[in-house]
Amino acid sequence: MGRPPHPLAVLTAFRFTWWQRLALGWLVLLVLVAAVAPLLPLPYPPGLPDLANMAVPPFSAARHWLGTDPQGRDVLSILVYGARTAVLLTLPAALLAALVGGLAGAAAGFWENSARVPLAYWLVGTGGTWWVLQLPLPMLGLGLMLIGALLALLARLQNRPLPTWPLPVDALVVGTATALDTIPRLIVVVAVVASIGLSAPGLLAVMVLTAWPPMARLVRAQMLRVRQLPFIEAARAAGLPERQIWFRHALPHALHPLRTALPLSVAGLLGLESTLSFLGIGLPPEVASWGRLLATVRDEPSAWWALLFPSLLLTLSILSLNTLSRMSTSRA
Amino acid sequence: MLVPKKNPSGVLLWLIFSSLLACSCSSKGSSHEAIRIRWVHDPETINPMALTNQAAIEVNNLLHLSLIQANLTNHQYVPALAAALPEVRLVGDSLMHITYELRPVAAWDDGRPILGSDVAFTVKLMFCPGLPNEVVRNQYHFIKAVITDPATPRRFTIVCRGQAPEYVKATGDFCILPAATLDPAGRLSRFTLAELQHRAPTAPADTALQALARQYQQGYAGHPPGQLPGCGPYELVTWEKDRFLHLRRKSHWWADQLHPAPLMLRAKPQQLEYVIIPDVATAILALRRGELDVFPQMPAREFERLRTAPATRAALQFYTTDSYNVVTAGFNTSRPVLADAATRRALSRCFDAGRLMKATQLGAGQRTVGFISPSDTANYNRALALIPFDPIQAAALLRQGGWRRAAAPTAGWFRPGPAGTSQQLRLTMRYRAGDPLLTTIALQFQAATAPLDIPVSLLPTEAGSFSEVLRVGDFDMYAQVLKGNPFMFNFTPFLHSKGIGVGNFTRFTTPASDRLIEAIATASSNASRQRLLRQFQALMQQEMPMVPLFFLPSRTVADKRLSGLNVGSLKPGYLATTIVRAARATPAP
Repeated sequence: MGRPPHPLAVLTAFRFTWWQRLALGWLVLLVLVAAVAPLLPLPYPPGLPDLANMAVPPFSAARHWLGTDPQGRDVLSILVYGARTAVLLTLPAALLAALVGGLAGAAAGFWENSARVPLAYWLVGTGGTWWVLQLPLPMLGLGLMLIGALLALLARLQNRPLPTWPLPVDALVVGTATALDTIPRLIVVVAVVASIGLSAPGLLAVMVLTAWPPMARLVRAQMLRVRQLPFIEAARAAGLPERQIWFRHALPHALHPLRTALPLSVAGLLGLESTLSFLGIGLPPEVASWGRLLATVRDEPSAWWALLFPSLLLTLSILSLNTLSRMSTSRA
Repeated sequence: MLVPKKNPSGVLLWLIFSSLLACSCSSKGSSHEAIRIRWVHDPETINPMALTNQAAIEVNNLLHLSLIQANLTNHQYVPALAAALPEVRLVGDSLMHITYELRPVAAWDDGRPILGSDVAFTVKLMFCPGLPNEVVRNQYHFIKAVITDPATPRRFTIVCRGQAPEYVKATGDFCILPAATLDPAGRLSRFTLAELQHRAPTAPADTALQALARQYQQGYAGHPPGQLPGCGPYELVTWEKDRFLHLRRKSHWWADQLHPAPLMLRAKPQQLEYVIIPDVATAILALRRGELDVFPQMPAREFERLRTAPATRAALQFYTTDSYNVVTAGFNTSRPVLADAATRRALSRCFDAGRLMKATQLGAGQRTVGFISPSDTANYNRALALIPFDPIQAAALLRQGGWRRAAAPTAGWFRPGPAGTSQQLRLTMRYRAGDPLLTTIALQFQAATAPLDIPVSLLPTEAGSFSEVLRVGDFDMYAQVLKGNPFMFNFTPFLHSKGIGVGNFTRFTTPASDRLIEAIATASSNASRQRLLRQFQALMQQEMPMVPLFFLPSRTVADKRLSGLNVGSLKPGYLATTIVRAARATPAP
C-alpha cells in the first residue's frame, strides 16, 4: 500500500518559471499591502471626500499623488484599501469554496449513491435544514434535531446499530452543482443581493455558494479515478473503516486538481467582486473597492486615472493568478 | 449548372437585406421626428390622483390641463382651461368664493364640452375612498363645495373654507378629468363633497364608491395608452417602463382654435419622447450622438465640460437659471435617538453645506436657512443665520441632548432611554443610488461624524423603492432634492401630522408646527403670510426635522437645431410644448 501524501502536500514542491515568480511576487506584495494597509502612511483615509479637490488628476493637488475620484476621495488610498477588500473577501471565499466543493465532490465521487446514513443523522440533518431555512414552525426543526441527537446518543450508549436510509450523495452534489451552473453566476449573485441586500459576510457566503460547484466537479472526477487504485482496494482488504479510507487515503489524492483550480477561482471571484462594486451592489459604499473606483468614471469620464489604476491592478492580479494556476510540481 | 440556382437565392438575400435596411432606416427616420428629452427615472404612475414624482407631473401636464397654469417665463398664473383668471369674492370672514368660467372652445376628445360638472367631479374624486388620493386630499381639504349652475354650465364657483390668497392659485392648479368617461353611471353625483370629505375612515364600504374606485383604477392600469382620457394636447402612445414614454400630438385639439394661442396652450412638437436614462455619462453620450435633444438638470461638471469643449459648444445650446429645488437631509423623528431637536440640531452641524455647494455645483446655487428660496426676498427670513459646519458645536449640542461620549475610544455616544434602557447614537442614511450629488453629501456627513465617534451606515437605495422606503420609515436619515415653486406655501404634505405615512417622511409633528402650517395655508393676506412664513422658517431651524443645505441652479442643455425652448426656474425647468426642430439641411447630391 502506498504511503498516503499529507493533505498539505499539494501545496509543496512547485517548480517556478520566471513569469510565475513575478506573478507570485506581485500577489505576495498585494497580500502584504492589504495586511499592513492601516499602518501605511497614507495622506488620506479612503472614504474621506476632499471637497476642495474633486476629480483632480495625479500629482496636481496637495498630496493626492494618484489624484481623486469624482467624490474627492484619494485614489491611492482607495487602491490600497481596495486591495485589502479584495484579499479579505476573495481569498476566504475561494478557500471556503474549495473546502466545501472539495469535500462535497470527494464524498460524491467516493460513495456515489450507495451511502447509507443512520436514521438519527437524517433527523438531525432534516431538522437543521428546516430551522436554518426558517420554514413554517421553525421550532419543529429544532425538535427534529433534538430527537435525532437523542436517538444517536441512545444507540451509542446501548451499542446498538440504528436503521439506515440511503443517501444519494452523488445525485445531490451533482444535481445541486448543475442547478447552480445553469444560471450565470453574476445573475445569481445580483438576484440575491438585490432582493435581500447583503453585508460583507453575506456577500462572502453568496460568493462561496456560487464558486464551489466547479471545485466539486473536479474533485469528484479525480475521486472516481482514485477510488479504483490498488491502494484503496488494499485499505479495504485490511479492514479499515470506509470513512478513514476516504479521509486519510483517498481525499489527499483527490484534492490535487484544486492546485490549479484555486488560483483560477480567486481570479474569478476577484472579477466578480469588482463587477458587483462597479454595479453599485454588494459592499457598502464606504468600503473601498477597485470596482467601485472604476464605476466613478461614469460620473467623470475625463478622469482617466480612476480607470487606469484600478484596471491595471485588476489585470495584473488576475493574470498573476492565471499564471500561478499553470504551475507544475517537481513530480509532475 | 450551379450559377442559375445561386442567382435567385442571392437576389432573395439582397432583397431581404434591402428591406431590412429600409425598415431600419424608416423607423429611425420616424423616431427622429420626436423631440427626445432625458428623464432620470420612470414616472411610476400616470394616475393624476397619485403623482409620485416630477416625471409623473410632467407627463400629466401634457395629457391633461388645469384651469390656470404658471407661466414659466414670468412666473405669473395665466388662464388655461379657464377663459380668464378667476373672480374672487370674500363671504363673511371665513369663506371665499372663487368663480371660474371655462373657455367656450374647451372640449374633450369626443367633442363634448368641458363643463363645471367635470371640475366638481374631479374635486369629488380627490376625496373618494379607495383611490390613492392621500396627498391631494390633504392639499385640497379647504374646498367646501363646487357650485355649478345648469343655466351656465361652463361657469362654476369653488367655495373655500378660509380666505387665503393662495387658494386662488391652488383651486386652479389640478388636472381636470372627464366625468362622463370615468363615471358614466354617475355614481359620484349621488354624494355631496361634504359627505365624501367627512366620511369616517372606519365607515362601511359603499358599493357604488367601491365600484367607481375599481373602475378608475382599472382605467389607469388597463387602458391602452392612446385611450387615456384627457383634455391636454398629447396622447400617450407607448410607455415602456424604465425605457421611454412616447407621446403624440392630438390631430384635433380644442386649443388649436385659439388665435393667437397663449404660450402655455401651444403644442408644437408632433411627437415627444421622454427617454429614461438614469446614468449621466450615458445620457451625455446620447446627447452628443444626437439621440437626445434636451438634457434638463445636467450636473455642474458635465455642463461646464460640454460648455467649454469646442466641439460640443458648437453643437449644443446651454441655459442656466435659478431653481426652487432645495437639497435637504431629513431625520426620522420617530426614532428615539432622533426624537429630540437638540440631537437633530447637533447633527445638522455636520453638513458642510458651503463646501458641498462649491464642490458639487462649482459655486453656483444659493445657501439657505430654510425651504423658502433666498430669491423670494419677501418671504425669506434673512434674520436667521445659515446653519454652520461646526463639529465642535455639534458635540456640545449632543451633550445638551443628554448624550455622553463613552470613555473608551470609538465607543460612541450613549444616553439613558425609557425604562432603564440605554440609547446609542448610530445612524443609517439613505439616498437615491447612483446620484453623485447625494453620494457626495452622504460621504461628507459620514466623514464629518466619524471623528465624533458617531457611526453612520450609508444605504444607497434604488430609485424605484426609495420613496416607498421613506414612506414606511425604514431609515434614520435621508438625503434628497425637494422640488418646490414660488407660488404655494402649503407644507401640509411633508411637514404636517396629516402627511405622516404619505409625504411627511420625517414623521415630524408638533402642535405648534401644525398650527403654523395651517395658518400659513389659510393666511388672509400676503403680509400676514410673510410674517408666518418667517416664523415657520425660524421654528424649522429650531426643530430641525430637515436640514436645508442649498438651492440648486437649473442647467439645461439642448441640441442647437432646436428653437423655441423656453427655460425657467419653475419645475421642470423648460417648456417642452414650444420646442421646434429646425429642418435638416438636405445633403448635396
